[in-house]
Amino acid sequence: MSARQTTAGLPPAFSELAPGVSGARVRPDQLVAITNELATTHPARLADLFASEPRHGAELTLRAVYALDDAARYAIVECPTSGDEFPALSDLDPAAFVEECEIYEQFAVRPANDKPLNRVLIPPHADATFPRLGHRPRPELESLHARHVVEGEAFEFPFGPVRAAGWESLYMGLVTTGEEVLDLYLFHWHKHRGIERRLVGLKPERALFFAERMDGLNAVGNGLAFCRAIETAAGARVAAAAAHTRSIALEMERIYNHAAAVAATCQTTGLSVGQARAEIVLEELLRLNAAAFGHRYLFDVLAPGGVRRVGDADAIRKQLPRACGEFRRVTEALLRTNSHVDRLEATGMLTHEQAQRLGLVGPVARAAGCPIDSRADHPFAPYDQLELSPPVRESGDVLARMEVMLAEVAASEQLVLEQLADAGPGQIDVQPRSAAALGWAESPRGEALTWVSFDSRGAIERARLRPASVRNWRAFDDAARAENVFTDIPIIEASFWLTVAGFAR
Amino acid sequence: MTDDALAAELRRRALALFGRSLHIRTVDTGSCAVCESEIRLLSAPPYDLHRLGFFFTPAPRHADLLLITGPAVRAMDTALLKTFEATPDPKAVVAVGACALGGVYEEDGFVHGAVDRVLPVDVYVPGCPPSPLALLHGLLVAVGRLEERVAALTFDLAAEVER
Repeated sequence: MSARQTTAGLPPAFSELAPGVSGARVRPDQLVAITNELATTHPARLADLFASEPRHGAELTLRAVYALDDAARYAIVECPTSGDEFPALSDLDPAAFVEECEIYEQFAVRPANDKPLNRVLIPPHADATFPRLGHRPRPELESLHARHVVEGEAFEFPFGPVRAAGWESLYMGLVTTGEEVLDLYLFHWHKHRGIERRLVGLKPERALFFAERMDGLNAVGNGLAFCRAIETAAGARVAAAAAHTRSIALEMERIYNHAAAVAATCQTTGLSVGQARAEIVLEELLRLNAAAFGHRYLFDVLAPGGVRRVGDADAIRKQLPRACGEFRRVTEALLRTNSHVDRLEATGMLTHEQAQRLGLVGPVARAAGCPIDSRADHPFAPYDQLELSPPVRESGDVLARMEVMLAEVAASEQLVLEQLADAGPGQIDVQPRSAAALGWAESPRGEALTWVSFDSRGAIERARLRPASVRNWRAFDDAARAENVFTDIPIIEASFWLTVAGFAR
Repeated sequence: MTDDALAAELRRRALALFGRSLHIRTVDTGSCAVCESEIRLLSAPPYDLHRLGFFFTPAPRHADLLLITGPAVRAMDTALLKTFEATPDPKAVVAVGACALGGVYEEDGFVHGAVDRVLPVDVYVPGCPPSPLALLHGLLVAVGRLEERVAALTFDLAAEVER
């Protein structure tokens, strides 16, 4: 591992909160200034923005989490606010916009600018009794949502929320003049289950149950971020053997998810043979998950403080190389199939600039030339001892995303096999009290973040869950608009391979 | 032909109709996407539900059977009820997975907590998620319920002509 800059270079307001995490508390009028100052010292990527209100009517606290990817550090800027408004970050940093809308929905305070907001999670029919983390906007604040107008030659083609078999509920408004997609907007709120609100008052064990089931295809990625936040808050250190077991489960999750993305890409280009062969591999991988860890989707492998289960090393050693070898044969054949590759090239383009501006993560960002991977940039055990070289592509199209995923499957296979000998059981008791911490992990879809605070009895006061899907869905309309036609939309969706459940949580 | 004979004839034909071509519409009411993944695999070669005469349909009006996942999020109520109403009788409703059966979420402002609080459910398929084989078994049970339902239909020729 190359020597990394650590605390050096951060503005003086910051102090060390935990390994790899710094924090600063500022007044509302200093918030924009300090984020600008941060941006001059490091390329700072806004990873999350959220609010919390310890008690009803108490002061609202805003937290912006910046990832300083070249300094192996997260910087949390904390800022108390009062009144109806909070300082708007989205004027300078568009990556904050969705989160600002979310804060407005949950806490009835709006960003201090005149821009209309989007509806994120609270359904339009929600009344005063609808559960929120804070309270509902007062009537005079309720009409802040952007009006949606489709005019001229264009019309809106409504699609969803109920969709084809195997696709999650999602409403897509396709604005079109006939074939080309002029604009596209998404409603995710059909699936909002209020997980963050459900976690308030729960103990870590019970909360992990929901954190894993919030977004089942990333159960290990999100669950690991959650467990690590709990452990950091408790000042606990997980046994090395258990950390290896976690990493094996996380990499196996990545492998099966990327195989599923390839199968879905074939489904959407209409290549049935490729789909069938990729699905045979996918089924083999899921059965291996079940044989090794007792669950096809790796639920309940993790526990706060360690792991509940240890993978069956023999089963993995025997079956993983076989399944991954077959996957390579399938994907090599796919990349030689011109009719398939033609549909992927220059489809769903995202530029490097767009990916940076919106703060994207995971394979979507890496395919657009952003070399970010929290396993390499913000390493924690066991990734700090492993050789990692995140694959990067520059073209930002569907093909680039597929190539990134294929390279990641090969790398993850190696990571799993390397660690089998060192993996083992281990669970320590963790009882965080009156503490808060940030946790992160690289889920198959990218960086998953969690921020949890505990009260003096060890129950959760506020849990902020930010799966990778939350960040990446915001780029979907940009990718869909870039000179694409109707039939490209499912292909782009398969290449993003996000979950609605993760966004709507 | 007597009414009994007509009913028997209808039953035979309905059985033949459903037996080799039963169309399924899926509705996700807030699942974690894992049940969807298993449903997706039903048409993969290891399970291949087409060989059994089952097909997924993109329209509720062509469906005989609804496969419903998730804890019945209230925000999906309209879409779910519209789908149910648009599905012609006789139809069967299959609730899929622990969320849909009421094992994960309590009833609250976000969710009903179980699909049978919104729709009459015929078959419950437990599991978190239910494996594709469990889903296939659930579908076969549902076909039995549909057969009973078709068999119970009466057919009054005179009334039909009048209408």
